[in-house]
Parts: sequence; C-alpha cells; structure tokens
Amino acid sequence: AATAPGKKITARLKRTLPVRGPQAPTLSELMRWYCLNTNTHGCRRIVVSRGRLRRLLWILLTLSAVGLILWQCAELLMNYYSASVSVTVQFQKLPFPAVTICNINPYKYSAMKEYLSELDKETKKALETFYGFSEGKSKVRRSVDDWNSTGSDFFQQIPLLKVEDFSRTATDLRSGQKRRVEGSVFHKDSSIVNGDSNDIIGFQLCDANNSSECALYTFSSGVNAIQEWYKLHYMNIMAQIPLETKEKLSYSADDLILTCFFDGLSCDKRYFTRFHHPLHGNCYTFNSGENGTILSTSTGGSEYGLHVVLYIDEADYNPFLVTSTGAKIIVHDQNEYPFIEDIGTEIETAAATSIGMHFTRSRKLSKPYSDCTETGADIPVDNLYNKSYSLQICLHSCFQKAMVESCGCAQYAQPLPAGAEYCNYKKNPNWMYCYYRLHEKFVKEQLGCQQICKDACSFKEWALTTSIAQWPSTVSEDWMLRVLSWDKGQKLNKKLNKTDLANLMVFYKDLNERFISENPANTLVILLSNFGGQLGLWMSCSVVCVIEIVEVFLIDSLSIVLRRQWQRAKKWWSHRQRGGAGTAAPASHLERQGHANPACLDEDLPTFTTALRLPLPQDSPLPRTPPPNYSTLRLESAFSEQLPDTLELGRR
Amino acid sequence: MKLRRYLVRALHRLQKGPGYTYKELLVWYCDNTNTHGPKRIIKEGPKKKLIWFFLTLLFASLVFWQWGILINTYLSYNVTSSLSIGFKTMKFPAVTVCNANPFKYSEVKPLLKELDRLIEAALERILQPGNSSDNVSPPLDLELWNQIPLVLIDEHDKDNPIILDIFETNQTAPVGRGPCQGPCHAQAQSCLLCPQCSQQGSGNCTYRNFSSAAQAVTEWYILQSTSILSKVPLHDRIRMGYQAEDMILACLYGAEPCNYKNFTQIYHPDHGNCYIFNWGMDEEALNSSNPGAEFGLKLILDISQQDYIPYLSSAAGARLMLHQQKSFPFLKDQGIYAMAGTETSIGVLVDELERMGYPYSDCTVNGSDVPVQNLYSQYNTSYSIQACLRSCFQNHMVQICGCGHYMFPLPEGVNYCNNEDFPGWAYCYSSLRSSIKQRQICIDSCKETCNDTQYKMTISMADWPSEASEDWIFHILSYERDMSTNVTLDRNGIIKLNIYFQEYNYRTISESAATTV
Repeated sequence: AATAPGKKITARLKRTLPVRGPQAPTLSELMRWYCLNTNTHGCRRIVVSRGRLRRLLWILLTLSAVGLILWQCAELLMNYYSASVSVTVQFQKLPFPAVTICNINPYKYSAMKEYLSELDKETKKALETFYGFSEGKSKVRRSVDDWNSTGSDFFQQIPLLKVEDFSRTATDLRSGQKRRVEGSVFHKDSSIVNGDSNDIIGFQLCDANNSSECALYTFSSGVNAIQEWYKLHYMNIMAQIPLETKEKLSYSADDLILTCFFDGLSCDKRYFTRFHHPLHGNCYTFNSGENGTILSTSTGGSEYGLHVVLYIDEADYNPFLVTSTGAKIIVHDQNEYPFIEDIGTEIETAAATSIGMHFTRSRKLSKPYSDCTETGADIPVDNLYNKSYSLQICLHSCFQKAMVESCGCAQYAQPLPAGAEYCNYKKNPNWMYCYYRLHEKFVKEQLGCQQICKDACSFKEWALTTSIAQWPSTVSEDWMLRVLSWDKGQKLNKKLNKTDLANLMVFYKDLNERFISENPANTLVILLSNFGGQLGLWMSCSVVCVIEIVEVFLIDSLSIVLRRQWQRAKKWWSHRQRGGAGTAAPASHLERQGHANPACLDEDLPTFTTALRLPLPQDSPLPRTPPPNYSTLRLESAFSEQLPDTLELGRR
Repeated sequence: MKLRRYLVRALHRLQKGPGYTYKELLVWYCDNTNTHGPKRIIKEGPKKKLIWFFLTLLFASLVFWQWGILINTYLSYNVTSSLSIGFKTMKFPAVTVCNANPFKYSEVKPLLKELDRLIEAALERILQPGNSSDNVSPPLDLELWNQIPLVLIDEHDKDNPIILDIFETNQTAPVGRGPCQGPCHAQAQSCLLCPQCSQQGSGNCTYRNFSSAAQAVTEWYILQSTSILSKVPLHDRIRMGYQAEDMILACLYGAEPCNYKNFTQIYHPDHGNCYIFNWGMDEEALNSSNPGAEFGLKLILDISQQDYIPYLSSAAGARLMLHQQKSFPFLKDQGIYAMAGTETSIGVLVDELERMGYPYSDCTVNGSDVPVQNLYSQYNTSYSIQACLRSCFQNHMVQICGCGHYMFPLPEGVNYCNNEDFPGWAYCYSSLRSSIKQRQICIDSCKETCNDTQYKMTISMADWPSEASEDWIFHILSYERDMSTNVTLDRNGIIKLNIYFQEYNYRTISESAATTV
C-alpha cells in the first residue's frame, strides 16, 4: 500500500530527528528559558531587570565578565608549561667523583725520538733560518740549497710563508720565492688589523685535487704559527701509530703517581684506571667505577679527600708541542667523558694545589618545558664516546661525522666512527685543507651541529675552589725529596728535583649536596582549579554550567533552527505538491509542544526573591517544597503528558 | 525536666518519622540545589536523564579525586624557592688567617729534639740500609719509638713477607697472611708500616700500611708530636705559636688603617695561633658598602718559612678562611692557601640559602634539637654542621678510648690523649677514625643549619713584590716590625692578601611553602 509521501516524510522525520530538551519553539524563548534557569545570575538579571539602563548595564557587566574569563583562561593556558625551580640541600655521605689526571706532555720525548726526529730537525732548521735561533751548538747556518737537498717533506706539504698583507703577496721562507696569495686569507689573530703587518707569518693549505684553491692561515706571532704547524704534522705522524704502541710511549701509572692517599688511607695505582687521550697521552682516572664500586666520602675536609704527589718529568717534555709544565686534572662523574683538553684545570709544579669541591646536581624538565634531552637518544648524531650523553660529546661527534663525510677520514683528536680511519697524508693528502675549512665552518655554526645538539637534562657539577701553597717548604724540602726519591725506587737513578713534583689535594669542602630541580609550576589540578576560580569569580558558574551553555546554545539552538528550516522546507514542499491546499498543521503542533514544556511557561517575570528561589512553572505538578506528599506515579505521568513526542518514539 | 520533655519530644518525632519520603526529599533537593546536575536529572527526558546522571556522577568523582591530589600536595610540604642576585651593603665576612705551620720551630725545638733525632736516624736507616751508623753520640731514646714503631716490609717473597723493625736487627716475623693485604700488595718491593698495638706486648695490633715512605713518616711524626704537645698547657702552646705583631705586618680596611690589635686571637689545634678579623664577638661587625679591591681588606703577612717544623708540615703558606661572624673557622674543611711571595686577590660572593624548618626540610635553626653535645660552644660560636660532626667524634672518642683527641675541644673532666697515660690511644683512635659505622652515626645525628651562608671566592694570584720594588718594601716592613735597619724578611715568607666584595655580592635563595592552608 502506497502511503502518502507527506506521511512518509513525517514518519522519517520523527525517527531521525528526535526532539529533546527544552522544546522552545523559537530561539528567543530558548534564551529566555536559559536565562531564567541558569546559575550565572548575570544572564538572569538581564532578563529580569526592568528598565533599559539597568538591563544595558547588566548586559555590559556580563559581557565584560565573559571577556575577562576568556582572557584569563587563555593566560593560564599559555603559562601552563612553565617551570619553577626548587633547591634542596641534603647533608649526606657523598660519592667521590672521578678525578682524571694527565701529564701536560702526552708522550715521553725520549721514546718519541724515532717518530719525531725528522720533524724536529725540520722545525729546528726552520727556526734557525727564519729567526736566527740556534740551540747554541750548531752555529753554521745552512744555506737555502741545503734545504732543498734534504728534501723536506714537511715544507712541501705545508709551506710556511711570510705575508705582506697590503700587496697580497707572500714570500716562501724556504725558497725565497714570491707568490701571489690566492683564495681566502684566514687571520688567526684579530690584532693583525692594526698591528704592523710586515712580520706576519703563516702557512698555506691547498686543495690537493685542485691546486688553485688555497687558503692561507696567518698568525701575528711566529710562536703560534710554528706551534700550529708543528701540531698538524704531529697529528699526521701520531695517526699512523697504533694505540698499543702509543700507550707504551706514554707515561705509566708508576711513572706519574708517586704517592696516593684517600680518605686517610694509603692507596696505590690499582685505584687508578688508564684512559688514553689522543692529545694528552695516558691519563689516569681515580675512582673511575670500572670495577663496579664507587668510593664515597663520609667526612669533608682536606684530610679525607684524595691526596696525590705527581711526578712530572720536565726533562722529557716535547719542546715544540707543549710549552707549559705541570699536570692537568678534571673532576667529573663516572659516566662522563673527561674533556680534559677543554675544561681541565692545570696544576703547577713545586706547589701544593688544594682543590675544595662543592657538589651540585641539577635537573631540568625536558619537553615541553625546555629543549633538553634525557638520554641523547632523540638526537640524530651517533655518540662516538662510550659514555653518557653530554653537549660536548654531541658537538665533537657531530664534527667528526661531518669530517668523515666531507674529508673521508677522521680527525685525530676524537674517537673513530665505525668504518673510518684517522687522517694521515699518505692516504688522504687533502685532509688538512679539508679539516681547516670544516673547522672554520664549525666555528661559524655553519655545520648545523650547534642546532642539532641539545643540553642534557640532568647533570652533576663540582664547583672547585683552587688555592696554591708552596710545597715542599724550604725547611722540609731536603728530607721530602730524599724520601720521595727512595719511594720512586731503583728505576730512577737521579735525585728528584722539586720542579718535577706536584702535590694535589682534592676534597669535599662540606658534604652538602645541592640539588636544583625544575618542577612543573602548574599541574592539571592547579590549572583546572584556576579555571574554576575564574569562572566562579566572574560568573558564579561551574563546569556543569559550561556544559549547560554548550547544550543550550549549541545543541538546542541548532535543533530549533534546524526544525524551523525543516518545517519551512516541508511547507514549501506540501505547497508545491498540493498547490497550497495543505495547512501548516505539523508546525502548529510542534509549537504547541514547545509551549507545553513546563519550563517555558514562566510568563510572569519573577521578582528578585522568586528568581533566587528558582521558580517552577505555575502549572507544574512538581512539588515546590517538601513536605507535600505526592506520588511518584504522578511525577512520571507529568513527564509522559508533557513529552508526547518522546513517548511516541518510545512506542515505536 | 525540660531536658526530659525535650528528649521525649525528640523520641516522638523520631517514631513519627519525617513527613515525607526520602525520594521526595531527594527530588526536592535535586530541584532546588544550586548545582544544576541533579536538577537536570529529574527534569529531563529519559535519555538526557541518563546522560546527566552519569555526568553528575563523573564530576562528583572528579571533584573528590582532585581534592585528594590537592590535599596530598599540601601534605608533601613542597617549597618554592626565590633567587635574588645583586649588590647591597653587607657585613664583611670574618677573615681568619693562620700560618700553615702551628708553632715556631725555634720555640718547640727543646720538646721535639728527641723525636727529630729519632726520625733523622730512622730516615738514615731507611735510605741507606747498608751503613748503619751507630756512632750517634748520645744514645737514642727508644721509648718513644717502641710505643709506635715504624717497620719496613719486604715483599719480594709474597707468601712470606719479612718485617724489619728499623732499629732492630733483622727481626723476621712472618705475620700470617699479613697486614700487607692492603694497597702495597701488588708489585711494591717494600712498604712502610706503622703498627699500633692496643696494649704494649699484647698481640692485638693493627698495621697501617703506606705505599709511600714520605706519607708514613709524616703520619708517624704527627701522631708522636700530637702526643708530646698535648701535655703542654694551653698558654705555653699559644706562646710557642706565631704572635700577631710578628705575623700581621700591615692591614688596611677600606680606606681606614687597622693593625694586629683589630684581630681576635684563637688557638686552633691544627694551625696554632690564628687571628680573626671582624669576628663580631665584642664589637659590631663591619659593613662594606662598595664593591672592589679598594674597599676591601688588605693584609700583608709574614709566615717566616725558615722557622717551620720540618717534618710536620711540608706545605708552606698562609691558611685563610672566610666565615660568618660568631662561627668557628674550620680551616681544614673550608680554608684555602695563600702562597708566599705572591699577592692573592679574593673576590667574594655571599651565597645564602634560607630554608624553611620542619616539616618542610630537615634542618635546625640553632642546633638545640640536635642530640649531640656541641663542644665548640665554649668558644661562644654558633652551631654548624662541622662543629656537630667534630663534637660527635670527640664524644665517641671519650666514650671508647677514655681520652680526648688533641685536634678537638675537650668535654668537661676529660684529658687529652698522650702516649704515657693512655698507651693504646693511637690504636683506638685509628680504629675509630676508619670505622664507617661511627661516621654514619654522626652523619645521621647531625643536622645542617637552616640558614646556610657560603662565601664563593674567585681567587687570582700575581707575583709580589715585584723585583723592582722588592728592596724598599722589605726594608720598610722589616723596619716597622723590628725597628732595625736589617732586612729580616724575604720572598719566602711574605704574603699579600686582598679580600673584597665582587660587583654582585650576594645571591640569596630563600624558600617559601609551595602550598599553604
């Protein structure tokens, strides 16, 4: 049986568009209903107030309150990811840090003779020719021809030049030839600009594949130039020596450490772990935690720390590589890599250096509070060091990676990445030019390393207070040196000199651990409480109230609008179908439904007191106050009467 | 009667029950409450009713959950810290200066003469074992030696180490598995030990072994000299130390001159006579209201290195420390050295930490709640953690060994340890000192102070006097001290010190409660 299309549509409409909520027929009635019933009294006052001025005032007040709430809540949201700092001090037994000690001179000069004799000879020759310096023995000046006949590899590789800055010409100090400076000039000293420019010395590095591309590095002082030049060659030579040989060439623990005392007890070289540093040779780490135990101190003060006497064999120093005497130490955590070349403290000979420590532990909050990394796992740079992440490790690893990528070999001062090998000019004749170029870029932050690498979130820091006393004192010098020579044993056949010795004390000044940590300033609870405070303060409103707003202003309003549109469409449709014969019966029915809603029948405007008492519709069967007895059935019937639409739906 | 009538009425009322059902009451509540959730439950259609019911339930549980969190936060007694850095007029710190060497050797020589001869002979034997020169004119007093002998252990044969008493003929006494289990086991040909017996002749001995002879000799000498000096009365010890007028040659505070009379003398067991500037015990503490070296304290000291006790202190210089007014200077912990022949400049930043007391953090305001008798209160100084730890140690020492250690103040009615009256004290002291349990007890019972002030120092050094000015400076200073034209000072003894506030002189971290009621 074919039913009328109108009925079909009505049926479908009733199925698909169930009517809920305060069934106000129009938006204004819905608003009215809302304003009278809501807890935010501002809205209520707008409706209830008599007189235009008062109503306007209330509208303004309510609007400004809403504005304030929005503004303040936005502020709260934006400040949500802020951190507050807390400092706690705890007095306790403290773990003693690892102390890494190196001789400033990396390798015994006497043992290095076989590797460095060529280079040293050349360097001495250069000094003699350029500066007229001779060590006193050889007074005969060698001629330029002599130079060429010896076939100095080192000068062919990297020629030392004297530069005339204004004419942009350079004199090759070996051959005396003048040549034009091509390519870029890098000044290592900025003082060159206003200094006298006639005495500038430097060296030229050229791209081996493309000889026209050269870079000239100049120094205002020959001391720097010679040292830098020497270092380049030295690194070349060292890169070719295997690690085991290098460890033998450097100092042993017995060589370096004469006496050792920790926590009031004697200790010896077994407390030290060897650690080979490419630039400093064999270094020794006290309390490295390698055997699983970390020593700790339960008493502060100089007697209870580490107390060592170091033997610095000054006579066996490399004269060109290092120009200062002493030892270098660094205090670090057991998991940290000691960057002794960057942040080491130097120790003087013939003196007692006492280093008092303060321990501070810091923790930052990682994302989204600040840009730091917990483990370094999220950073796209491989950690080449076998130690826990730090910014320094990342930067060095990043540079090494770039070096291997662009130069094809690894720089000597940093560990090897997998599958790479150290640069030397037999295999990579181009590396020095490449290295200098890359280093320049690195310093100017063009490699992107500084952008990739992030701080570590937690770090330990030992603040050092260093002071120096004369040691040994003039009166105790005599017996001290004699006994120490005896300690050193039979291996040493000379009497010790006080400039060969350094006394070092490392101790905790107090056992207070300062722990600086960042905490989230806002937790979710605090944020919500603040929201609640704002809502309550300005609008006497709550979350429920907000949901009501959403319900009324979004869902109900929308449904009313939709309903009206639908009716209009239906009217238009029926009009078209029946040629205007149909009446707007369903619409009036719906309207009646809306009016039937008890919540909307609040015709009489409530006074202030009735408003506060939340008046119910006059004809509502619902009780106003207890104790009027009423049956729950009546309550249900009240609902069923008022909401025929819902019931209809239920029956279906 | 009235009460009874009232009670009867109440009973009646109870029996009658309320004039409405609970359901009615509930509906009434829901309808009239200010929280709109319940109102909506009863007023809406069945589906909305359900939704509102669950929403209300959810919100109620949320509220209780968050209340729980808030209460927990309060009970955890968190604190927030505020940090401030800047310059303000502050009390200049008390400055303690000492000589690294406690006594003038010329004064204590008669006391230490026997000991020095003994150590010299022992060193002779150690260094040249071949020619044992027994031609010492007066025979050595071996009584001192026998109390704590030094022995040499030959470990060429690892299973049977040979112990050689230095002054006796090869006395080979294999000591079981040996005391040399310690550090010098590895490859050391020989190691030096200093055995300490609890009772003379008894077998209860411990060997303290040293891998280095220099250390062994120093430790041995300190033990012996401590024992000797502890018998000397205090005023004699003060007399044997360095006098203020000899040590402090020049003093200038800000633009005002000062002299040795502005210093308070204190006897420090490690360093003899120490002198404290601006201690604030009798007079008001000085303020400094300007940063920079010009407005600080400038001192010239003479440490007369020629008069050092050779075996006691091998490092030469002045020991100084900055500390708060009315606090005891613990130089071994916080002190720094100043080197002879140099000018040492010390820039000071006062690092203060103000903490909330209990229950926010475990600290003490004045030390009265710490279960350790503060022995340093006899100096009229305030409580500090160092004082507490040392007092704790001394109290233990008195309990266990029966006498007090020379380095710490004495409780009432107790004497200092010395070899004659307490022969086993060195053994007792050593075992107590290395006892981890004892340390832990002290660490647990002492509390740090709530207001902690540290002086962060930036130290720099330069040679002083310069070669050009050396002559006239020495001349004037010698003249002022001794009124003679002879130069009695030299580079090895003279020290210049500048102590001043940095541009930012304070950094204060203060705590406040994170959550209050």
